[in-house]
Amino acid sequence: MRDRREAERPEIETRGSLLDAIRGVKWPALRAVAGALPGAHHSRLRGAAPELSEYRVYRQGDDPKRIDWRLLARSDRAYIRLAEDRSIVSTLIVVDATASMAYPPRTLAKWRAACDLAIGLAAVAHASRDPVGLIVVAGGGVHQLPARTRRGIVGEISRALDGVTPAGKAPLASALAGVRHRWRVAIVSDFLGDADDVRRRAGEVAAAGGEVHAIHIVADEELDPPGRSMLAVDPEDPSIARPLVADVRAVYQERFAAWRAELATAWRGEGLSYTLARVSEPASRVVRRVASRALGGGRDAALHARSEGR
Amino acid sequence: MTFAVPFFAWAAAGAALATVALHLLAWRRPPETPLPTARFAPERPVRMVSRAVRPTDLGLLALRVVLVMLVGVALAGPVLAPRRAGTPRVIVVDRSRSAGSGAEVTAAARDAFRTGDAVVVFDTTAREVVAPTLDSIATTSPSQGAGSLSAALVLGSRIAQRLARNRDSVVIVLVSPVTTDELDAATAPVRRTWPGALQLVRAGAAPNDTASPAIPQVRAGAGDPVGVALALGGPLAGGRSVRVVRDGVTASDSAWARAGNAVVTWPVATPAEWSRRAAVDTAFAVATVGPGAATVVAPFIRVAEPPTGRVVARWSDGDPAVTETALGGGCIRSVTVAPPSIGDLALTPAFRRFVERLAAPCGDARQLRPASDSVLSQLLPATIAVDGTGPVAVEATDSPQRRLVAWLLGLALAAAVVEMFVRRGGSHAAV
Repeated sequence: MRDRREAERPEIETRGSLLDAIRGVKWPALRAVAGALPGAHHSRLRGAAPELSEYRVYRQGDDPKRIDWRLLARSDRAYIRLAEDRSIVSTLIVVDATASMAYPPRTLAKWRAACDLAIGLAAVAHASRDPVGLIVVAGGGVHQLPARTRRGIVGEISRALDGVTPAGKAPLASALAGVRHRWRVAIVSDFLGDADDVRRRAGEVAAAGGEVHAIHIVADEELDPPGRSMLAVDPEDPSIARPLVADVRAVYQERFAAWRAELATAWRGEGLSYTLARVSEPASRVVRRVASRALGGGRDAALHARSEGR
Repeated sequence: MTFAVPFFAWAAAGAALATVALHLLAWRRPPETPLPTARFAPERPVRMVSRAVRPTDLGLLALRVVLVMLVGVALAGPVLAPRRAGTPRVIVVDRSRSAGSGAEVTAAARDAFRTGDAVVVFDTTAREVVAPTLDSIATTSPSQGAGSLSAALVLGSRIAQRLARNRDSVVIVLVSPVTTDELDAATAPVRRTWPGALQLVRAGAAPNDTASPAIPQVRAGAGDPVGVALALGGPLAGGRSVRVVRDGVTASDSAWARAGNAVVTWPVATPAEWSRRAAVDTAFAVATVGPGAATVVAPFIRVAEPPTGRVVARWSDGDPAVTETALGGGCIRSVTVAPPSIGDLALTPAFRRFVERLAAPCGDARQLRPASDSVLSQLLPATIAVDGTGPVAVEATDSPQRRLVAWLLGLALAAAVVEMFVRRGGSHAAV
């Protein structure tokens, strides 16, 4: 069953083809950022950029250099020029590398999909000259790459992820403790650990002006377990061992779907971005959907969002 | 191989099939498979029924099937050699003197005989009749020898056990009056060597017929000492079948003797056909032969010698004084003792006992009294009379079938022990 599913994948992307597929994809910030450094995202600041936005009456304290002298000469009134400013937004990719991500055990397809998504999002962010950082939360500890703008940061992220083997159990929310306000955070996880704590912390980040994207990785085998009878054991908590036989499969799928819908509702209810990513779905497509959230979402994204609850 | 109770074999086969089915529908723990979303499956007992396409624990399954089949086959009573239907019998026919003329015994044996039965005739010894038929039973001549039931039962038991190898059951049919002299100390042990049924057909004498006492017939003159002695002695057992003649044996006496009675010829004058002694002499004592001998001490003039026959009494020097010769079913007893015509010898108790012993029925019939039922029930257990309802089945205590059943049950017990160890080993391995 598992092999057949892998064979039915529409496409298998290599890292190179992934980067090619997402070339040109923009991942704008959900709202105007407050950064000072020039970048690709709309800034809440009105600066002296060449692109004129509006005029405003000069008030005491304004920089006299921004007074439009020609308008003053013509109208004898002092106005200052305001322009749309663009800034960067630091992006932090948080990847869940606990034992639940090492699934299926033979192919680790779930972990590979998470890595591809992390690299894809990092590449898109880096293409906008945003600083990109990485936090990998595994049972053995937290691996961290500070946000950098330098050229090879995507490669560094790729190598860092390749060096991690998902195992153990660790709280994902602790990785968000050090996230600065106004950062953009993308959490790639199956949210089978401390999902409530993560959402709570993500809400705090968002309330402080940050931006949080939840990319929920789900393996196809989790959505549709193999038909044979088995004793399903939670790899992070062996005490959870439930028989999964034919007559309880429907109940399992119903409960799992309800939990996913509840998770999506909770995240979106707090103004956070939530994207369901199936392992069999090409990573480039998921990256585009995540990026499209910031643009208000396309028709496909809307349809997909409605289907995520199912 | 056949079964005495095939139901148990079929039941065992059904139980074995059920065992296999239970193995296929075994409670087993399904294989563990990691699934991160296992928490969404409903909580159920970890052990569950699952149908195994290929049964596990084939060794344990085989042991259990073997165990069930062994017990079932043992209870079914396996018979390795095919048995023929019917119940053959061993007809044991009494030809001893106890049977008298043998006519009644022969008739009873012919009634009991069926084709395929074995026939044993016996008197002092027993022999098997080869290829017996109704005619061969009728042609066996009676003997004047004492009967030995022990010898007859030994041979009858051997033949019965030979027949029992390929028959379901064998019955020994004993056709005999069963008198007391045919029984001895070995009769009961020999009877116990045959575990099967023994059917008793008492013929030739009425059971418990005590031969009502009577004074023998005496044909003598008045005041004859022998007649006086018999008259003083009173009724004798079997006296009706005894005739004492003091004159000479007539044709009617011979006919009466052929009918199974005893004619005691005690002539006053020596018959011409008797041989005379070389010299007339005097003997001073005479005694009967056998247990409880009656002895008379008195001077007797010996003139003649009795005819050749079974010696009933002897003189003090050992010469025969009284002999008995068979005649048909009866006998003629020749007495050469001449009691003195004068004196009171005839009145003495010793002479009366002597006369009474000589006036006994043929073959010393006072020892041929039919054995009582109580004696027979002790010496010949598990037997019934011909008037009963049928043969008594005596359960065999040691037969090939019983040994086979014992072996099967032993193997079943061993299989149960091995199964217990295998099961425990399997459970430990599973833990």
